[in-house]
Amino acid sequence: MTTPTPHSASPTPHSRWRVSRRGFLIGAGVAGVGLALGVPLSLPYARLKIAEMLTSGDGRPGSFTTDPFAWFEITPDNRVRLFLTKVEMGQGVHTALAQIAAEDLGIAFGDLEVVQASTSQGPADGNGTTGSTSVATVYQPLREAAAMLQLMLRTEAGRVLEQPANNLKIENRAFVAGDQRVTFGQLVTNRQQWQIPKQRPTLKPISDFTVIGQPVKRVDIPPKVNGAAVYGYDVKLPGMLYGAVARPPTIAAQMIAAYPGTAPTMPGVKQVVLDKNFAGVVATSRAAAHAAVAALEMLWADGKPWQQAELEEIVTVGDFTTEEGGGITIQREGDAPSHLDKQPAVTAEYRSPFAVQASLEPQAALADVQADRVRVWVSTQLQGYVRSLVAETLGVAAELVEIIPTYVGGGFGRKSGFEVAVEAARLSQAAGVPVHVGWTRTEEMRYGYFRPPTHHQLAATLDQQGRIVALEHRQASGDVAFGFLPGFLSAIMGADFGAYRGGTIHYAGIPNRHTIVWRRELPVRTGWWRGLGLLANTFALESFMDELAHTAGADPLQFRLDHLSDDAAGQRMRAVLEAAAAKAGWSTPAPAGHARGIACCTDGGTVVAQVAEISLDKASNRIRVHQVTAAMDCGLTVNPNGAAAQIEGNIMWGVGSTLIEEMRIKDGQVDITNFDSYPLLTLRDAPHVETILLTSGADKPLGVGEPPIGPVAAAIGNAFFALTGKRVRQLPMTPDRVSAALA
Amino acid sequence: MQLNINGEVRDIADQPDEKLLWVLRDELNMTGTKFGCGAGICGACTVQVDGVATRSCLLPVAAVVGKAVRTIEGLATRHADGTHTLHAVQQAFIDEQVPQCGWCMSGQIMTATAFLANNPTPSAEQIDSALGNNYCRCGCYVRIRRAVAAAARQMSIHENGQEAHV
Repeated sequence: MTTPTPHSASPTPHSRWRVSRRGFLIGAGVAGVGLALGVPLSLPYARLKIAEMLTSGDGRPGSFTTDPFAWFEITPDNRVRLFLTKVEMGQGVHTALAQIAAEDLGIAFGDLEVVQASTSQGPADGNGTTGSTSVATVYQPLREAAAMLQLMLRTEAGRVLEQPANNLKIENRAFVAGDQRVTFGQLVTNRQQWQIPKQRPTLKPISDFTVIGQPVKRVDIPPKVNGAAVYGYDVKLPGMLYGAVARPPTIAAQMIAAYPGTAPTMPGVKQVVLDKNFAGVVATSRAAAHAAVAALEMLWADGKPWQQAELEEIVTVGDFTTEEGGGITIQREGDAPSHLDKQPAVTAEYRSPFAVQASLEPQAALADVQADRVRVWVSTQLQGYVRSLVAETLGVAAELVEIIPTYVGGGFGRKSGFEVAVEAARLSQAAGVPVHVGWTRTEEMRYGYFRPPTHHQLAATLDQQGRIVALEHRQASGDVAFGFLPGFLSAIMGADFGAYRGGTIHYAGIPNRHTIVWRRELPVRTGWWRGLGLLANTFALESFMDELAHTAGADPLQFRLDHLSDDAAGQRMRAVLEAAAAKAGWSTPAPAGHARGIACCTDGGTVVAQVAEISLDKASNRIRVHQVTAAMDCGLTVNPNGAAAQIEGNIMWGVGSTLIEEMRIKDGQVDITNFDSYPLLTLRDAPHVETILLTSGADKPLGVGEPPIGPVAAAIGNAFFALTGKRVRQLPMTPDRVSAALA
Repeated sequence: MQLNINGEVRDIADQPDEKLLWVLRDELNMTGTKFGCGAGICGACTVQVDGVATRSCLLPVAAVVGKAVRTIEGLATRHADGTHTLHAVQQAFIDEQVPQCGWCMSGQIMTATAFLANNPTPSAEQIDSALGNNYCRCGCYVRIRRAVAAAARQMSIHENGQEAHV
């Protein structure tokens, strides 16, 4: 990737996109020469339901525009550049999109340069890089744009070479016929005006693919092994200074007043900025800035000293039989409640805690605020939203603000980047020089937004043959998406789609299925976290499926298969369950002292099944996860190596969340400050992972970045039950909770 | 003050208490060494001091005066013609497609290279233990294991003509 950096020439914004027939956008290259062809994302998106749009967005439907989300530039020196608004945070999106583009443009993968677009070069991508939607939504329009560009160039090459266009071969970014040759660069040099042809370009049949589906090496990896990759924390400008900002002492604190104290005279301090609800310092080093912030005299109203137990009480399911109960039914197949009223039900309750995204790169931005131009380099998944917030805060027109997304050192829903970008912009505006703000680990741990706690009540009835007649899932959760949406949208939607992600019962073989959710507003900010509600909901549902299998006296794999339908969705789920089970040796005994558990989920069309093999250290009551075998069908796989990497990473996230990760509130404050109080999974405790990628002959890619997190906790919990006959129904499954379950 | 970094003598401001990490990143603009926690826990800031993997976020710069500091920027071998050859560990991290976000990778690679220099034929358990204090939030652990083992094999073949037992 090429990130526009302060060292490169300032980009000239595109100002001359014009909409052509068929919805393509055509314009001059970024440098004002050559040919640029872009494609808007608005049409495919318009077909999606509003909830799905918002899952993948910044909560601002109005920001969906006809601006291109990706575009090609052919330059006179024969470079083919693919500009992308999607940011690279390790998910391999730049590589996958380049594979798609190269395929239908008809050039070798290595002949394409990938460039991260700033908001001034192209549109501010209102959709952001979120929700495992990039490849799935961009796939078709990007293919069409690439094929259209090839058609335009080919037609022109045929005219120039006086050859039938269809006979020309493409080699090294040139059209070739015998010993005649014209490069892409020569074509765009010689012809200034381009029209979108009426002819519809032909897309390559899948059977002819040579780039899509190949495990090509990621374009972002070489600069990540030699220190060259530039992230938000790494950006430098001449004359830049460092900023730090005062933080509230409790989650409910309100700033009453701020006084400079001794800060202005401390070494290295250049500027003290005190404003309504904002106090910050600009200094010559980060250490000096933080020391000066600590010397500010701050007056806070601390607010209520919330305790963890009070928050857990809030996050409890209510009574759905009354209006006041407030639950919202999001799934009703058949009539589960009446069945559950008639006969004794199997019931269980599950809970999951607050968790932190804990990207290893904390929030970071460099802002350069000048009178006529604002530039912000920032690690962000939401550059469009960042631009609007920075413009609003500074009181300038959005067009003057350029957000330049850098490589992102871990996203996971938390690299919204808006807080730190605004902080850097405010301080730069006050100081009159570029200011970098990089959060400390404690700031990152305490002052973001968290995965909300959840509470689940499950109830089911079985018939004489041990088949499920009715299954009900009642779930309460703190906000996930609603914290970012305007209130009127929350009111229209009723239930938070982020919180209930993965919460509906997919087993179509169960005739009566009912899911009710409760929105629980907390005094702690909660929001996006990898997979949103998927991990917690799948933990509850798939653990309970295991409990029902045990009640029915059935094998947990067979029990699941028995409750799938025979339609396409059921068959895809059956395939991943059987593939994971076969590879994990489900039908053979586990090694002595080990046991296996199985679980599955469906998310955005992607289906995943996992088998976890665990043991228990009797002395410490620590669960050890030895192996996770995962089978996934994510439709057409663009890069199988990248898809496997996403499965592996999700499993490590899942294991960490299952065994270790928990944030608590104590005396009104987040009770963690660094990795000593919130440890992550390490290599020592990382399981071996086997991945199997299945494709049901799909012609479209689906999401990969989050679905595999779903089954992990349930698979481990189910293995723990297989090993001990006991269940731990609250995450994480710490030695204390394991001891309690075994007692 | 003067430091020896990647074989070059570099003049730095006289701030003996400033941590090596921030001198590298913010004074010398060598941002390949990353900040993760500032508490010596996550390992993102790992550099080598006289060949020993060391957390630079806790290390006052005065402590490395007169010592040889190596960072990720100085790990590849540079040739007279301006080209360079990646260290076997760097190459293995590419071959095995290890990094995702990449933020922890300098620390992983500097830890692994120091480890392999002293343990050229490590067991799988020794690799887990040696790299066991470097966090990777993206969860690239399966591939880190594979790449370090592959690098050990490669280095062993290169240096001894024999394959390591990994």
